[in-house]
Amino acid sequence: MMQQEKTDLRTVMVQSFIDAVENGVNVVVVVSDSTSTSKITPFAERYPERLINVGIAEQNLVGVAAGLSLGGYVAVTANAACFLLARANEQVKNDVCYSQTNVKLVGLNAGVSYGPLASTHHAIDDISVMRSLGNIIILAPADPVETQRIFEFALEHVGPVYIRMDNAKFPTLYDEDYQFALGKASVLREGNDITIFALGSVVHEAYEAARELEGMSIDAEAVNVSSIRPVDKDKIIESVRKTKKVITVEEHTLHGGLGSLVCEIIAEEGLDAKVVRLGITQGQFSKAGPRAKIRAHYKIDKNGIVETARKLMT
Amino acid sequence: MSNEFNLEPYQIAEKAKEIRRKIIKMNSHAGQGHTGADLSETDILACLFFRILNINRNNLNNPDRDRFILSKGHGIGGLYCTLAEAGYIDESLLMTYLQFDGLPGHPVRQKTPCIELNTGALGHGLSVGVGLTLSAKLSARDFRTFVLTGDGELQEGSNWEAAMSAAHFKLDNLIVIVDRNTLQLADRTEKIMALEPLAQKFKAFGFDVHETNGNDPAELVRTIEGMDLKNGRPNVVIAGTTKGKGISFIEDKAIWHHKVPSGQEVTIAIEELE
Repeated sequence: MMQQEKTDLRTVMVQSFIDAVENGVNVVVVVSDSTSTSKITPFAERYPERLINVGIAEQNLVGVAAGLSLGGYVAVTANAACFLLARANEQVKNDVCYSQTNVKLVGLNAGVSYGPLASTHHAIDDISVMRSLGNIIILAPADPVETQRIFEFALEHVGPVYIRMDNAKFPTLYDEDYQFALGKASVLREGNDITIFALGSVVHEAYEAARELEGMSIDAEAVNVSSIRPVDKDKIIESVRKTKKVITVEEHTLHGGLGSLVCEIIAEEGLDAKVVRLGITQGQFSKAGPRAKIRAHYKIDKNGIVETARKLMT
Repeated sequence: MSNEFNLEPYQIAEKAKEIRRKIIKMNSHAGQGHTGADLSETDILACLFFRILNINRNNLNNPDRDRFILSKGHGIGGLYCTLAEAGYIDESLLMTYLQFDGLPGHPVRQKTPCIELNTGALGHGLSVGVGLTLSAKLSARDFRTFVLTGDGELQEGSNWEAAMSAAHFKLDNLIVIVDRNTLQLADRTEKIMALEPLAQKFKAFGFDVHETNGNDPAELVRTIEGMDLKNGRPNVVIAGTTKGKGISFIEDKAIWHHKVPSGQEVTIAIEELE
């Protein structure tokens, strides 16, 4: 099932824009000098008139996208998540979410993708920020196949969508038969001892950890929660009821992200479970440096998850 | 497609008077509202809805309709009363203004026709107007986009991001109207954060600047209809207005930004509008 060839998820995203236009979807992409961030060149060469660059002006980026959507286009914004959600937060709130315009907000290079460039460039709060707003679907693809499926869905769907994206290259977790379904989590490995919930690119870490735990006689279930809103409450409840031990993994603050979401469900359903949330420490800015070291520091890499799982099992 | 009323300026002035009467009644009934702003923009709205905008009740969602964005969303009272006067919303709705689940205190497109964008936070309309105008250019349609901003609102930096892009993209089918009543919430714009020289600022950003009397339908109509919408430059009308226009004791007083007439004031105001 797993291939070792790695693909930049943004390349898949850009191809999905091209495919959508070819299939008659009226896509325009709006960037804020973020042509290299978005790897948009293949689209720009093919459809130069469908790429709008507003310069370094994120508020205008989102407002213009909302206007384009009101004029009948499927407007996609493509820039770094850190600037999109902080600088243009009020435009995201009012012009997109509250006004329910047909805008797809792509938060590129989210989490600590920018590693050593530090906290101005890290977006460790995008999920919690988006969860605090109404009317918007929130998605985070984990691999190239899912990225293609999620963009195909988002560009066809009428209404606001936020998509959390990574800037690295990843192998496939899914084969070509994979179908993304809104509001459905997907189980990458079934297990009975412990559940690892993850989203976005750390799903790879979770899946690899689950496989390594096999050799330690720990039967871990790895679940990809790529649809954050709507979330697959039934699947989460079912898995927690089964294993009663939960690890959540996210390259995101522990405030308001996947860990919070899972704990809300566990608490509201009165489920009996031990939970460890792995992510960026609450109330702090993220550490800076090589991304692998940041992940290791917060135990959101394979080794950290394995270590956490072993402790939980004792 | 053209405006279904297509009134002459003297008829627009009569409509404006009736809209002002509605504003006084609606705001006093609601007990809240932005009376100063509503009355300031009334003549501009009357010109747009009774002459300029090519909208028609048979299809208010026609994709080729001119678009109007009330960027100064707090002026929603003036817009509701204009829409009621034009018959685009039922007049009885005005008595639900600011009530639970009634007409909201800022524009909500899901609730009221002729509203393109949910505004209220300032400095949003111009960017969205740029996007709408771009969509017309990209799809070779010739609708125009009108954005009505307040003057204090221009202190928001996002307007100037949008203005820069309007000129860069050569959006000559964009018409920004500034309700230049020189008052903002707290005091005179020039005292709080000076906007002048406003015409020169817009000119420097690449706009065709048109200065006119924003409380005179004849001048407004002449200005807007006389614009060159094919020259590659966006347009701004700096419409000189009086906040609270039409009611002597409300005119040009900062305190009436969100004050409403009550008791005897309502009677006097209505009399002044006879």
